[in-house]
Amino acid sequence: MSAKHAVLGLVIERPGYGYQLAQRLEERFGASGFAPSGVYSALDQLARDDLVRSAGEMGAGPARRAAPRTIYEATPEGVDHFEHWMLASSPTPPLRDDLHMKISLCRPRNVPRLIDMVYGQELACLGRLRDLNRLAEEDRAGGSREWSILMRVLARDAEVAFWNARIEWLQSARELLEQLRDETDRSSVGRPAGRLRAC
Amino acid sequence: MQDGLLSLASVSKSYWRGAHELRVLTDVSMEMSPGEFVAVWGKRGAGKTTLLKITAGLETPDTGTVRFAGQDLAGMSESAHARLMREQVGWVRRAGPRSDLSMLDYVALPLLVEHGQRRARSRAYDALARVGMSECAGQRWDSLSDGERALTGIAHGVVRRPRLLLVDDPTANLGVREREDVNELLRSLTGEEGLAVLMTVPGMPAAMGTDEIKVLSGGRLLAQPREPAPQTNVIEFPSWERSA
Repeated sequence: MSAKHAVLGLVIERPGYGYQLAQRLEERFGASGFAPSGVYSALDQLARDDLVRSAGEMGAGPARRAAPRTIYEATPEGVDHFEHWMLASSPTPPLRDDLHMKISLCRPRNVPRLIDMVYGQELACLGRLRDLNRLAEEDRAGGSREWSILMRVLARDAEVAFWNARIEWLQSARELLEQLRDETDRSSVGRPAGRLRAC
Repeated sequence: MQDGLLSLASVSKSYWRGAHELRVLTDVSMEMSPGEFVAVWGKRGAGKTTLLKITAGLETPDTGTVRFAGQDLAGMSESAHARLMREQVGWVRRAGPRSDLSMLDYVALPLLVEHGQRRARSRAYDALARVGMSECAGQRWDSLSDGERALTGIAHGVVRRPRLLLVDDPTANLGVREREDVNELLRSLTGEEGLAVLMTVPGMPAAMGTDEIKVLSGGRLLAQPREPAPQTNVIEFPSWERSA
């Protein structure tokens, strides 16, 4: 998914200026790795393609000296373009995970370090889940019975389920790595490490 | 501890299968305050239900202490312990009554001996109304949907007006709307009545909306980062090196 479609979708939902849109992008798709600066280049591109246009400017206020900020809204072509994207098939994303590769290619001496890396990632997953939980609190304040809120809950669930699956996999990986470490510790003390061939 | 309601300190628990020790909980510590809504997630067999059972006094930890409102459960007489658990801790299970009870009588059960049928039923009806299930008072468990069962189970758990509610996987098998309904109800109970809720969840989506998410991993609560291991290990593994 490109930042272009994400930004266009947000502008269609509600017009806004660049900084607002960057904040909303972070709230909605924080885990997707979109850089805030990507919002501005996406807006430039969308404007060049006549998919968004200026809906006016917001002054910076008397106490500020910053330049007025352009508020963007979608053009009819932008809405059509977004609808076309919305209804087109989505490709299945590839799974290229650095940690998967490290585990599959690791050497025995790397195992203790990998265990700590896995543990660190478990904590990172939990941190992200706690962030999402804070966002859920804001959704709840909006009233949980409206369809728009339920759709946001459903979209959030996709990310929550991703981190859930991730943390579950990490737990399994760590358990196995710890068993391997313990087994190799015993092997190195009591007898030759021939059992490790199975790995 | 000023506001502490529940405190687990270094709780460990093992089960024995013959000579084989199955370590379920290791050095688990946690605190809960009145009105707090905490979710515990872990893989199947991670020790979630054992944690609830120890909190409810249904299991005794091998080591560590469990305190409820400052009282060490291990130091209490059996009768005082049973009374504390009966009066101050509610337990919501997924399984309902096997008998042909109406939901009104099922929810009234915990009050029946102490209050008599009429008063017990009156409070049970209030509890059912509180969870939005008064229309199902005359129904049987088998006739309820999963969502209705979850709500009725909560009514059964809170009918004695406990200070702590333990809820075991209340949203298993529920759709998004029903799950949100259940969590919203639990949230409102904690908000309005100061009830603390400790809930195990089948998946993280069900933990959204709680005050705190805890993860059980290998019998331990996932906590702060540990001291990192060195980059290399002094132990060498020649056979694996060759096979790699």
